[in-house]
Amino acid sequence: MLEVSGLRVASGAVIRVDGLDLSLPERGCIALLGPNGAGKTASVEAISGLLRKAAGRVIFDGSDVTHLEASRIVRRGMALVPQLRELFPNFSVHETLLAGSHAARGRSAIPFDTVYDLFPRLAERRHQLAGSLSGGEQQMLAIGRALVSNPKAMLLDEPSAGLAVGIFRAFVNALRRIRDSGVAMLLVEQNLEIAAALADSCIVLAAGRVVWRGSTRDATSSEEIRQAYFA
Amino acid sequence: MIVVGGLKFGAIYSLAALGIVVIYKATRIVNFAHGAFVLAGAYATYGIVEGLNIGYWPAYVLVPIAAGLLAAAVEFGILRPIRQADMFALITSTIFIGIGLSEVYRLVQNTEMLGVRNPLPGPPIFIGDVIITKEQIWVLVGAIISALIGVAIFGYAPIGRGLRAMAANARGAALCGYSNDGMNAMAWFLGGALAGLAGIFAAPSKGISPELAISMITAGFVAAVIGGIDSLRGALFGGLILGVAETFAAAYVSSAMKNAVSFLLLFVVLLWRSEGLFPEAKIRDV
Amino acid sequence: MSSGRLRAVMGAIAPSAVLLAIAILGLLFDTYWQYVFAISITAAVIGSALAMLVGYARCITIATGAMLAVGAYGATIPIVHGSMPFLAAVAAATILGACAGWVLAVPGVRFRSHNLAMITLVFQAVVIIVLRESKTLTGGAEGMHVPPPVILGISFEKDADFLLLSAALYALAVVPMTVLLAGAFGKNLRALASNENAARAFGIDVRNHLIAAFTFSSALIAFAGAVSAPRFRIIDPDSYGIFTSIFTLAYPIIGGMGSIWGGLAGGGILRLIPELLRPLADYIELIFCVLVVATLTFFPDGLASAFWRGTTRRHRVKPGASFTARAIELAPMAELFAATQALGAAAPGRRGGDPILAVERASKSYGALRAVDDVSLTVQPCSLHGLMGPNGAGKTTLFNIVSGFVAADSGNVRMSGTLLDRIPLEARIGLGMTRTFQHAAVFERLSCLDNVIIGLGRNGIAQGIVRSVGQAFANADSRSERRAAQAALAAVGLGVRKDELAGALPLGDQRRLEIARAIVSRPRIILLDEPVSGVSVEEARRLRELLLAINGQLGIAMVVIEHNIGFLSSLCQRISVMSQGRILAEDDAASIIADPRVRHVYFGEQEAAA
Repeated sequence: MLEVSGLRVASGAVIRVDGLDLSLPERGCIALLGPNGAGKTASVEAISGLLRKAAGRVIFDGSDVTHLEASRIVRRGMALVPQLRELFPNFSVHETLLAGSHAARGRSAIPFDTVYDLFPRLAERRHQLAGSLSGGEQQMLAIGRALVSNPKAMLLDEPSAGLAVGIFRAFVNALRRIRDSGVAMLLVEQNLEIAAALADSCIVLAAGRVVWRGSTRDATSSEEIRQAYFA
Repeated sequence: MIVVGGLKFGAIYSLAALGIVVIYKATRIVNFAHGAFVLAGAYATYGIVEGLNIGYWPAYVLVPIAAGLLAAAVEFGILRPIRQADMFALITSTIFIGIGLSEVYRLVQNTEMLGVRNPLPGPPIFIGDVIITKEQIWVLVGAIISALIGVAIFGYAPIGRGLRAMAANARGAALCGYSNDGMNAMAWFLGGALAGLAGIFAAPSKGISPELAISMITAGFVAAVIGGIDSLRGALFGGLILGVAETFAAAYVSSAMKNAVSFLLLFVVLLWRSEGLFPEAKIRDV
Repeated sequence: MSSGRLRAVMGAIAPSAVLLAIAILGLLFDTYWQYVFAISITAAVIGSALAMLVGYARCITIATGAMLAVGAYGATIPIVHGSMPFLAAVAAATILGACAGWVLAVPGVRFRSHNLAMITLVFQAVVIIVLRESKTLTGGAEGMHVPPPVILGISFEKDADFLLLSAALYALAVVPMTVLLAGAFGKNLRALASNENAARAFGIDVRNHLIAAFTFSSALIAFAGAVSAPRFRIIDPDSYGIFTSIFTLAYPIIGGMGSIWGGLAGGGILRLIPELLRPLADYIELIFCVLVVATLTFFPDGLASAFWRGTTRRHRVKPGASFTARAIELAPMAELFAATQALGAAAPGRRGGDPILAVERASKSYGALRAVDDVSLTVQPCSLHGLMGPNGAGKTTLFNIVSGFVAADSGNVRMSGTLLDRIPLEARIGLGMTRTFQHAAVFERLSCLDNVIIGLGRNGIAQGIVRSVGQAFANADSRSERRAAQAALAAVGLGVRKDELAGALPLGDQRRLEIARAIVSRPRIILLDEPVSGVSVEEARRLRELLLAINGQLGIAMVVIEHNIGFLSSLCQRISVMSQGRILAEDDAASIIADPRVRHVYFGEQEAAA
């Protein structure tokens, strides 16, 4: 579904990502791990087209999307839930979903009830403005907005960041259901627990390079990985 | 009677201000060339009504499209390459683009001022002892309706949603499939179309000349800032307030004071409430 | 006179010499060209005044025509109605222009960009209306006759005489502008236009500087209006209208935004073009508009800057070529010490005594979000304190509260016992607090040396003016400043780059430049916001050594925000961890790494206990 080869991202003289290869199968789920500054966000933003200056190749669903901008990539079915969510403060929950569904134009629509089903708290707040939602609700809305674009693959950048501990469980379950419904997922996470709950295999980045590939279970028990975080 | 006259001009100012606000909300650029777009609309009206002699109705359809295309062309051709530049460069560019367009008009059309015929000639209407011409009612009603249509498109139509999304968060809008380039061009098209409409309504009573561009950019600006540069509602009310205030000043003080009044109003509002009299509620985005 | 001093003085009078040279050249031509040259040097002077406001401070002003009118009428009215001598009238008009600039700026500089432009437009329109309506005093719309200048009984009616007189007066008037623009005042203006937050953090009061820029600029423009009026014989309000204001904007934009020469050349040459290109008279204005838009698009610093190198050399820097073999040089730290002693720096900090920084229960909310929630933090003098936490934990907001960018909703911040809540942001450098920023906030259009000189913090308006005058003579004080800045740059390993533009540096060097700027004033505490974010592992190691050297030799305390846990733990004695706006834990580095709550926040290893 998603083939990334030799991805290199630089900002000015600093190389943020140095040769990332990644293969995400249809319906698969891979976690991209690593400490802050490892290049995880730069990677997913480059793959999804938000970051335009990248070298390498990105093949999605059979076509080369390396140099396309984000609005065109999302219309082809690759949705990004960015780290900062990037919501519209003055839009209600419902209107945000309307905006997100614009990307599904020309393909079949996803009913909003799918989102409300996954996140009942959003259903209760259909007409509330996005800017007044709590952190967790905003995260749910960002995921919902990506969902209604009818994606074949979803890239999520630290979806658990800033979430209150109490809703972790419900959150992980919702993400699991999305994964099980057939959407391929690339999950960027700092939190090993969440990564392990959702993805079987993972890639660990440090300072822009891949330092480890394998199963998530092995990663959580590896001392090497710990070191990578503290180096 | 004075009130009606004032409201009529006010409605034209509202239309002009609305175009400025639409462009500002979507692209954060304050378009100092807007007066030139109004002039273009007025000139196109002359061309269709007097030149081709096919009456006003086609003008109401064709002129907004033409003015919109002109504005989109300006965005695409000139402003897009410098979109990365700072505000100083962008605003100054629009100032000189506006003057440049006025100059082009002056070179093309050598005579000083052109006129178009009255869209609704005929005897005035009497309500009590107040005299109102049909043209006044037509402009007042027509301009207000056009403005409301503009607000409705921006607020409720899918294309308006895209513009508002881009205004709120350009990255988020891209993630919804709204192309940044497409939305920018659309915002300018919509703003230009509104300017064109202002031109159609202004042409009969204000005449067509480079001075129209200056007076409309000034009035449009003052109205937009009084109402709140980020607020469509504010543009509507700001224009009406300005129109009435000006007309009263001209009638009761002197015609020279007419201009001074608009500036005084602007000055007072900026100092008292710099976000305008009808600002939109701001939700801080986290 | 030493060569440095000679060069400085020559630089201060060079523009005046050029104006005089042009005037003398004009004597070789006929009266028509003498008239044209007189107009041209007037425009050059207007351009130089606008270089300050539009070029350096990047303000949009549409009031130039009105200021010219203030000068022209302000001199002519006393001469005609009051029989004031010419020179006295010009002086009066200049003072009137300064007052007008001040009156315009005081309400105006609360705004930037389009609102500021609107306020200047209001001013422009109102002045013209007032002039047009005051028929008895000004002759109204028909205008006013201006008699030729008379000084000590000599009448300067002939074109040649007038050209020489105006050139002489302009030559004198341009000197203060040259001195201010080339000196500290001009640098401060460019700094605030480049990065307002960093400028404020180092003591540049933006509002006051802009008001001063408007005042000086308007005074010179009014001067030009007063001196040029007699040659027009008749002045009327419409020749000082909005079109004049807009077209004079083109002078610094096309000529060059970064130096007085740009303004002079832009004004002088652009004003000549309509005379030189007579056949194209009708198209001139359109050509100007196209030129301006093209220049803004392709040459954002003006055409002159594209051709001339100006006073700073620009080098293409090869990224990566910077650090291969540059060790941190510790010797220059002693040099920095000595150089700053000459400027009156305090002795290095000593351990013990009041905490250098004490935050007591600070809170700040944005709507429903509690960005900083009941945070307390204590930093001992000369110590190194780390601050870490996931994104969005509130670390930068806390820094903004401490450095004065944001006011806390509740709680206190004290520095060595002094409460900071009444002390504005710009004054904190005076107390000994400096900072660096998350996104390297260097002044991109200034050289590295100038960046660091601003770091000295001697940036009040009066101070800036005095220093500018001193710099024109390359006096001892200005030499000490340069020496201190050079020492700071050498201490961070950027000595060779002192004349390069800060904007051309790679990120790692910019971070070092920020550190140099933060230490040159020998502060007692520095707040560093992600000093190694985005740099290589090697570079991070070197920066760590640098910070340890600064702390050890100069006794400067530091609070460091970083994500790089290894970096923090090898640098700081104590570390505070923030999460969701609160302090989660505070301890020495080893204990923090082992703390289960901290590990949970980063790795989610186990559900929190309750």
